[in-house]
Amino acid sequence: MRKKIFSRFSIILFIIGMMIAVQYNTVNEPDSRDTRDVWEIRQELSVEKQRHSELLSEIGQMDSTLDKYEAASKESPEQALKETVDELRKLAGLTEITGPGIEVAIEPSPEAVAMGQNIEGVSPDLLIRFVNSINSFNNLVVSIDGNRLVNTSAIRDINGQTTVNTQPVQTPPFAVKIVAGSMEDAEKLSNYLLSSPLLDDFYIDDLAVTVSEPKADLTVEAYDGKISSQYLKDAEEE
Amino acid sequence: MWLSVLGLLLGISLGLLTDMQIPPEYADYLSIAVLASLDTLFGGIRAHLQHMYDDKVFVSGFFFNIVLAAGLAFLGVHLGVDLYLAAIFAFGVRLFQNIAVIRRLLLAKWTNKKEARESLG
Repeated sequence: MRKKIFSRFSIILFIIGMMIAVQYNTVNEPDSRDTRDVWEIRQELSVEKQRHSELLSEIGQMDSTLDKYEAASKESPEQALKETVDELRKLAGLTEITGPGIEVAIEPSPEAVAMGQNIEGVSPDLLIRFVNSINSFNNLVVSIDGNRLVNTSAIRDINGQTTVNTQPVQTPPFAVKIVAGSMEDAEKLSNYLLSSPLLDDFYIDDLAVTVSEPKADLTVEAYDGKISSQYLKDAEEE
Repeated sequence: MWLSVLGLLLGISLGLLTDMQIPPEYADYLSIAVLASLDTLFGGIRAHLQHMYDDKVFVSGFFFNIVLAAGLAFLGVHLGVDLYLAAIFAFGVRLFQNIAVIRRLLLAKWTNKKEARESLG
């Protein structure tokens, strides 16, 4: 009799446990549901595909460097190393670069001049916005008023003056030089700038922006400061 | 007794491991059903301690209470009256009463045993 009771209880408790567990599962279900429609997923897919192709081309580049090393190691290892160092210096912005590009002149707007308004320097926010928006193009080499933008460049306000790489940017007029990878890219960039709302943003600050026609060889200055690398460390041997 | 605990653990682990879920609309019904089953369970334990346990009453009560509670909740949703509150109230009150009775019975049992041992010693 006693045994029978306990077996009944066990069955009932089993059902209760099951119900509690299911309830727990249901209540704890995360309610972030996938609400993307087909187009959003397509877009994400295309972004991922682009990344994929970028990674593939990067792998190709690495492979070709490796091949070069292997071919050169038999003849002259120094030569291959020198080439790589040159390439890296170029990437870091330590060399002058000449190529097809455009020159953007930032001047006081004629209206402001006619009204006799005080011409103030360009604000760092505006410059940052400008740089960010042209950075949507890849492989650009940019200098603002002769100051080359490198990976660690800062555009900021120091004591009321807008500076790039801690060098003050003069009150307009000054020029921004941009070298793009090819003539085609330079043209695209020029068209992009001409149609972009950035010009209006500059105009609000009483500045007029003139975008030059693409030039075949434009020279962008080298970065003349010291690249601080205090947080870089030698890779440990494995 | 350990067999019952084993059954409970088995049920919980099975439910968690299978990752079974019900549509969230039905979660309310299941919660009421859980309450109803707990009520029946404690009622059964009490009946057992009071020596009036009946298999048929226990098992039929278990299923009947669950169905009744879920049905009441269902009716409430369709009538726009929160009838499930009635079920929660009823079962909640009975749950507390049953547990109180069980506690008293166990206490009485324990004191009886202690007295018996003392009188023997």
